[in-house]
Amino acid sequence: MPLQKRRFGWLDALILAIGLGLVGYVFYRAQFHFHYNWNWQLIPGYLIRQDADSGRWVLNLLGQGFLATVRLTVWGGLLAALIGGVVGVCRVARSLFLRLISRVYVELIRNIPPLVFIFIFYFFISGQIMPVLNVEERIAATDPETLRILAWLFGPPELLPNFLSGLICLAMFEGAYVAEIVRAGIEAVPKGQSEAAQALGMHSGQVLGNVVLPQAIEKMIPPLAGQFISLIKDSSLISLISIQELTFTGTELAVSSGRVFEVWLTVAALYFLLCFGLARLFRRLEHRLGRHRQH
Amino acid sequence: MSITTIHRLCRRRRRWRRVFDTLAFLAVLLGLSWLIVEGAGALHYNWQWYRIPQYLYRIEDGAFYPGPLLYGMGVTLELTGWSLLLTVFFGLTAALLQRSTSWAGHAAARLYVEIVRNTPMLVQLYLVYFILAPILDLDRFVAAVLALALFEGAFAAEIFRAGIEAVPRGQWEAGRALGLSSHAIHRFVILPQAIRLVLPPLTGLAVSLIKHSALVSVIAVADLTTEGRNLIADTFMTFELWFTVAALYLALTTSLSLVVNWLERRLPSPGTGH
Repeated sequence: MPLQKRRFGWLDALILAIGLGLVGYVFYRAQFHFHYNWNWQLIPGYLIRQDADSGRWVLNLLGQGFLATVRLTVWGGLLAALIGGVVGVCRVARSLFLRLISRVYVELIRNIPPLVFIFIFYFFISGQIMPVLNVEERIAATDPETLRILAWLFGPPELLPNFLSGLICLAMFEGAYVAEIVRAGIEAVPKGQSEAAQALGMHSGQVLGNVVLPQAIEKMIPPLAGQFISLIKDSSLISLISIQELTFTGTELAVSSGRVFEVWLTVAALYFLLCFGLARLFRRLEHRLGRHRQH
Repeated sequence: MSITTIHRLCRRRRRWRRVFDTLAFLAVLLGLSWLIVEGAGALHYNWQWYRIPQYLYRIEDGAFYPGPLLYGMGVTLELTGWSLLLTVFFGLTAALLQRSTSWAGHAAARLYVEIVRNTPMLVQLYLVYFILAPILDLDRFVAAVLALALFEGAFAAEIFRAGIEAVPRGQWEAGRALGLSSHAIHRFVILPQAIRLVLPPLTGLAVSLIKHSALVSVIAVADLTTEGRNLIADTFMTFELWFTVAALYLALTTSLSLVVNWLERRLPSPGTGH
């Protein structure tokens, strides 16, 4: 087993040579065959710019897209947790009806490509749900003060119907994965626990709420944290139905500015910062939680 | 009333409950389909299911010709096959490098896994297609395979690592006691055992590869999703075609999932030891 201290050896030299060789070759091709003019100075301006009239700093396209992705993730995460929680509990319910319904939901969504689900949802459900909710008319009827709060929470009001359909789509899709985590968490609680609770005369709601779920939630936290990061990544798919988040603004900008390489590298870096930062944060929290529990 | 009568009554009640639940479930399904049809009616949608079979296959003079959808499904399978091969290569390399004594190998593998796991697949596809492909003159099919394999490879690395670590410690010690080199231990002792542990999750990876391969329609590789989108643009049969495409994917993934279940029952699962 490789437990020795890591030292610089021939393998390191080989790997460094291959890595540098590959990177060098790509840059060489880009420079001398593709003749790409790198222009990184433009990128900060796409993130944030100074407003010409007021002189204040405002977010530009990429910055707005990033913010929209964060908003989508936060609300999508909450909604997915709600859907996943309910469906997950249904998956282990006594009633066959609930089990069948939740099973079909989870299996359908987990077995068709996210992209296909998003397109079906977009063409079909969003065209029907949005008119029922009447979002546009309601926005027109609200006063400016609430609109400001709405804008802070959900982004520009004129894009709200668009944002909502993307949000529901994302949450329905992630909800199926959350449901599986919830189910696994509940099933990981030893059967003796619920039997003991039943023996104490609790009814099934009490057994679930007071005995099983509190223990199951502890087990669900690490996979849920992972799923939250998946949600951030999957939110990029929503760009394909014209929801204006980071990937969408990236596409727009790459086409309109022509700075394809820089824009896509920046978009990737932004996603990486968000996901990697959160992953580190979650790991630290988990670590602290685990340490706390040991004492 | 004797105990047996109570038992029988309970059992009967349970059976009725099950029948009732199944009926309620079917009723909900019917209700949902009615909503779909009714909703489409509100949009004045004209259902033309009878036109779908010709896009799946044609029979001329007794000979079978695949239609665009089946052809696309073939491309999807081809894409998945090639990517799976490359995925195994990337994943195994990353897993072995992560375990190696080499400092640079460890760093390179970590860098690869972290970058891939913390950026969206779609953005990676764009990076490969818009940046790497024009620079290196890659075909779009090759770009798609590369992007898919790079993405899944990071997840395969984790599977391989878990598989290698699940091989009992005694196997390493026995290998070393026999005087085998580290390379020989890996090659002849550990990997043959790890493969058995890794096979079921790897098939699961193939399922997710099929699902992710739908993304390459974004760069216009002629897979099942692309064919579906093209046909929709031609015929405006949005719902029929999307449902058919979804059903075809469902058929592919569920049949592979059945294989996974079968494998998991046949082979020992990691953690149980034997």
